[in-house]
Amino acid sequence: MNVIEINNLTKSYGKTRGIVNVNFNVEEGEIFGFIGPNGAGKSTTIRTLLALIRPTGGSAKIFGKDCIKYAPEIAKEIGYLPSEVFYYENMKVMDILRYSASFYKKDCSKRIQELTDVMELDVTKKVDDLSFGNKKKVGIVAALLHEPRLIILDEPTSGLDPLMQQKFFELLFEENKKGAAILFSSHILTEVQKMCSRVAIIKDGSIVKVENINTLRENNYKRFNIEVRSLPYKNYFNFGGIDNLRSEGNKISFLYRGDINLILRKLSEAQLSNIWIEEPSLDEIFMRYYERED
Amino acid sequence: MNIFLYELKAYSKNTIVWTIALIMLVFLLLSLFPSFAKEAVSVQKLLKGYPEAVRKALGISISNISSFLGFYSFVFVYVVLCGAIQAMNLGIGILSKETRAKAADFLFTKPAARSKVMTAKLLASLSLIIITNTIYLMAATLIASMVSEKSFDAKIFGMISLTLFFIQLMFMALGVVIAVLISNIKSVIPISLGTVFGFFMISMFGSVVEDDAMRYMTPFKYFDTAYIIKHSAYESSFMMVALLFISVALLISYGIYSRKDKHTV
Repeated sequence: MNVIEINNLTKSYGKTRGIVNVNFNVEEGEIFGFIGPNGAGKSTTIRTLLALIRPTGGSAKIFGKDCIKYAPEIAKEIGYLPSEVFYYENMKVMDILRYSASFYKKDCSKRIQELTDVMELDVTKKVDDLSFGNKKKVGIVAALLHEPRLIILDEPTSGLDPLMQQKFFELLFEENKKGAAILFSSHILTEVQKMCSRVAIIKDGSIVKVENINTLRENNYKRFNIEVRSLPYKNYFNFGGIDNLRSEGNKISFLYRGDINLILRKLSEAQLSNIWIEEPSLDEIFMRYYERED
Repeated sequence: MNIFLYELKAYSKNTIVWTIALIMLVFLLLSLFPSFAKEAVSVQKLLKGYPEAVRKALGISISNISSFLGFYSFVFVYVVLCGAIQAMNLGIGILSKETRAKAADFLFTKPAARSKVMTAKLLASLSLIIITNTIYLMAATLIASMVSEKSFDAKIFGMISLTLFFIQLMFMALGVVIAVLISNIKSVIPISLGTVFGFFMISMFGSVVEDDAMRYMTPFKYFDTAYIIKHSAYESSFMMVALLFISVALLISYGIYSRKDKHTV
């Protein structure tokens, strides 16, 4: 069953672009990555799902219900962490958390205690006095305290130090094990790689691809780095399947996708002094998606 | 219910300060009454020396000013002015709070429909204004009985004082609709002071030109104290317009508030 179903979701802001015909689903129990450069439309999509903004076209369903029409009902089971966390002035951390908990019809005090312990959060401090990272921690606790079925995270790691990030990821994995689905938006690939099983790539307001993290990597791109003594002829590597070709003196590097035997035969005809064949990083793969339409 | 209680608590200090200010103001102004009453004849002579336009603009009626209720109606104008600022601050403040604190993401992703959020906030404001008026009325009655040597009509006194509540409701509703219409309110006070003083100027101008139609344009003119003293009643046409204004303002606010996009900051 799908926790999130997005159908041709569109939001336009007059002249400036919002999102155009966004489609993807998040399945139950899944950690789903949502990746794209800044300004690609990640937050717009998320804010529409949360009914903070209204779509100008298409629709989205969460738990099988329209995300705008049934927003208050759906919100009971959603935990949301905005990319930048702001709270009312003049409130202590504990007041914020209690106020946040008061919206859910269950006792969250034990969970608040657990979460603030894990995140090492001082609940007696005023929120205004907290650093960006500590505000984020308050946001994390507020997003998880009611044990939601769907966790939506918008650029969740900004401001957290690596140790806290690790603890936060562990918390998320725990919630996921208990059955929560997670929508994880980010522009940092390594963290998506670490967390997610599937990923939607968004660019200029449109979804470029929805793919398994593994398939993405298995797309048979290999990064070749070679050092040559001599090549049979000039532009020897200019043929189909070669991408991102760079040569510098006797060093040549390129991405290759296609029949692996073909490239090996080709290489065997050249005089090489050294060779490295690597899995390309996800960054490189994504760059391909971003650049394709340029 | 939780939003209602939260807002009530958030504005409790503010309301206490405003209520004390209103009481201090009425105390200061009413404490002048005994000397006014004692020197009634010379005061009346003095006031006659003022140009008629000035007297009208300030709401001074020579024949009434030496009676306690006449004097009260004269000073009450400034109590209402002060109360209008309080109500408008409250209306704008309570509904623009999320935008100003950038806390929209916090509140509007909670399981509470926008219309319910609005209702809770409106009920909190209404309660705060009722509290203000109740305390004001009690304090003002006490002060009145201290300064006025002769007895006065307590019912009329109450009816005049109650107009503070009606006028506050109108300015609150106006504040609410402004807060909903303007999406990026950074600061409340300039808007509320500007609007309230604007209407106050219109009301002063209206008194000078004595144009009846102009009375409809400013809440300050909806309740004519001379009429209340004479008839022990409010003018029904103005009551109707006031009620209509408040309903329309709130209806528009509900409509916009529940549909408006909450953008990132």
